[in-house]
Amino acid sequence: MNPLSRTDAQKQADEIRIFQKELARLEREGVLTLTESQHTALAAHHNGLLARFTQTFDIDRDARGKQLSLGMRVASFLGALALAASVFFLFYQFWGRFSVPAQVTILLIATLATFTATTWIQRVDATGYFTKLAAMVAFACFVLNIVMLGQIFNITPSDKALLPWAAYALLLAYVCDLRLLLAAGILCLIAFVSARTGTWSGMYWLNFGQRPENFFPAAFALFFIPQLIRHERYAGFASIYRVFGLLTLFLPMLVLANWGQGSYLDLDPNVLEGFYQILGFSGSALAIWLGIRRNWSDVANSGVVFFVIFLYTKFFDWWWETMPKYLFFLVLGLTAVLFLFILRRLRAAAIKTGESAS
Amino acid sequence: MMTRTRFIIAGTALILATNLVALAGVAYNHSGEPESILKLSQRELSLPYYAINQHDNSGISLSLRWRTLHVGSDTRNGFGVNYASWRDASAWLDQAKLAALGFDVSKPVDSTEGRLHYNKLLSKEVLLVLELDGAAYQSALARAKEAAEQEQSLFAANPDNPKLKERAKTANDRYLQETQKNSRLFAIDAGLDNTALRAKYADRTRYLIVRGQVRPQLNEVDHKPHLTGYISRLSIEEVNVPLSFRPLFEPMLRESGRRTQSVPHYEVTLTYGKRLEPWISAVHVKAGAQ
Repeated sequence: MNPLSRTDAQKQADEIRIFQKELARLEREGVLTLTESQHTALAAHHNGLLARFTQTFDIDRDARGKQLSLGMRVASFLGALALAASVFFLFYQFWGRFSVPAQVTILLIATLATFTATTWIQRVDATGYFTKLAAMVAFACFVLNIVMLGQIFNITPSDKALLPWAAYALLLAYVCDLRLLLAAGILCLIAFVSARTGTWSGMYWLNFGQRPENFFPAAFALFFIPQLIRHERYAGFASIYRVFGLLTLFLPMLVLANWGQGSYLDLDPNVLEGFYQILGFSGSALAIWLGIRRNWSDVANSGVVFFVIFLYTKFFDWWWETMPKYLFFLVLGLTAVLFLFILRRLRAAAIKTGESAS
Repeated sequence: MMTRTRFIIAGTALILATNLVALAGVAYNHSGEPESILKLSQRELSLPYYAINQHDNSGISLSLRWRTLHVGSDTRNGFGVNYASWRDASAWLDQAKLAALGFDVSKPVDSTEGRLHYNKLLSKEVLLVLELDGAAYQSALARAKEAAEQEQSLFAANPDNPKLKERAKTANDRYLQETQKNSRLFAIDAGLDNTALRAKYADRTRYLIVRGQVRPQLNEVDHKPHLTGYISRLSIEEVNVPLSFRPLFEPMLRESGRRTQSVPHYEVTLTYGKRLEPWISAVHVKAGAQ
C-alpha cells in the first residue's frame, strides 16, 4: 500500500531504519537469526520501499539527511517570510508611478501569476520546500492585492477582507499540504470571527482586541474542527488547529486574569480577575487531562505551558515585591520539581492504563 | 484530495471574485450623484510630513485635517493635526446624542456601577457631519480673536511685564494661525441615518458626511462626573493621490523635504460617493506655490 503523504512515507522510512538497527542488535545477541535468503528478501523489500519513497517524496533516508532536512525547513520558512515581505516592499516602492488601471492590472496579474507558479512548482517539487516559498509569496500577493485596492480607491477598512484571505490560505494549505499556510489561514479566521463577535456587541471592528472575550468563539470552533472534519490525510493539521484553539482560549484568559476591566461583564475587576484565574487554572488542567487521555501531546504540552504561566503569574503577583529574590526563585524551582513529580505519576498511570488495555 | 484542475479553478475563481467584488463596490461608490463635493485647501488636506525620496513608499496621500469646537471658551484647540484626538469634548456630543447613537447611557454617572460601565464602553462607527468654513469655524475664529485682544489689553496695561508680553504674542500668533493655517473643517453632528443627516445638512458643497468612531467618556466638570463623547478618528483619513495629479504635489513634497518655511497653496476638489468613500476629482495649485 502506498503511503498517503510525504510525512507518512518519512514515518515508514524511519520505522524501517529502527527495525533494521534492532534486527542487527538481536542477531548480535543471538536472540534471533535470519537465514541468508530471508535477509536478502527483507533487504530487497526495504530497499525497494525506500527507493520508491525517495523518488516520489524525496524523503530522508538516514539521520544526517534528517538534520539537513531540518535546516532546509528552517531556511524555507525564513525564505518564505522574507520573499513575502519583499513582494510587499517591491510594490510599495513603485506603485505611485503607475496609473490606476495599471496598478489594478499589475496587482491582479501578480496574484494570478504567483498562484499559477505555485501550482506548477507543486507539481515538480517533491520536497515541498519550494512549494512553501511559492505559496507564501502567492498569499502575500493576494493580501497585497486587496490591501492596495483599499488604498488606491480609499475604501473603508472592513473585516470582510479577512474571509477571502483565510479561504485562499486554506486552499493553498490543503492542496499543497503546507502547515505554514494553514497557520496563516487560521490567523485570518481568528481575526474575522473575533471581529464579528465584537461588532455584534456594537463596537468598531478594529477594536475587537480590546475585549479579549471576543476570541472565545473562535477558540472553541478551532479546537473542535479536527473532531468534525477528519484530517488523516494532512499530517499535523489537526494538531495545529488544536494548538491555535488553545492559544486563542488561554492567551485572552491570561490577559483577563490580570486586566479585569477588559471584560464584557459589568462586575468588579478584581472579582473578574479571580474568576479568569480560576478558569485559566482549571482550563489548562483540563487540557492536560484531555491531552493525556486522548494521546494528544500538543494539547497536553499546551496545557502544561499555560498552567505554569498562570501559576508563575500568580506567584509574581503575590511574592515578587515581598519575598527576597533568592526565595522567590527557589519557590519557582521547587514548584517545577513538584510539577515534574506530578507529570511522572500521570505518565506512569497512563502507561499502566495502556498496558491493562492491551 | 482536491484534483489539480479543481484547485486551479477554485484559486482563480477566488482571486477574480474578490477583485470583482472590491471593484464593483468602487464602481457603485462612483456612480450617480456624488454624496458631497467639497473644495478643500492645504488647511484641510495636508501633505505628508516626509520628503518623497526618503521613503520606501512611492505613493502620495493627503491627510484630512478636521477639528471639533471645544466645550469651553478655551482656544487651545487650534493647533496640531486632528485636534479631537486629544479627547476634547464637543458641546454637541452630549449624553442625549450618545443615546441617539446607540450607546447605553441609562446608568447614573455618579455611581460606582455607572463609572465602571462608562469606562468600559468602546468606540462605535457612526456617521459624522463635517462642516467646512461654517459657524463652528467662525466661533473658533471669534474665540481666538477675543483671546488675542484680551491678552493684548492686559499687556498694554502692564507694558513692563515680560510674561504678559510673551502671552500677548502667543495669543496673536494663535489668532493668525486660526485665520491662515488651521483647518476650517469641523465635526458638528453625528447620526446613524445618512438620509436624515443629509436632510438636515442639505448643502453638499459645505457639509461632508463621513464614517468615524465615537467613544463615550466620563469627564470631571465642577468636581462632578459628566458624560460626554469624543471622536477618536475618521474611518478614512488618508486620500490617495492618483498619478494624474502627482506632478502637482511632487515639487511641494521635495520642498517640504528641505524643511523650508514656505507653505504650498492648493485647492483639492474632494468627492464623496454613495459609500461615503472619497476620491480626488480636481486639483488647482495656486500661483507661487511651487
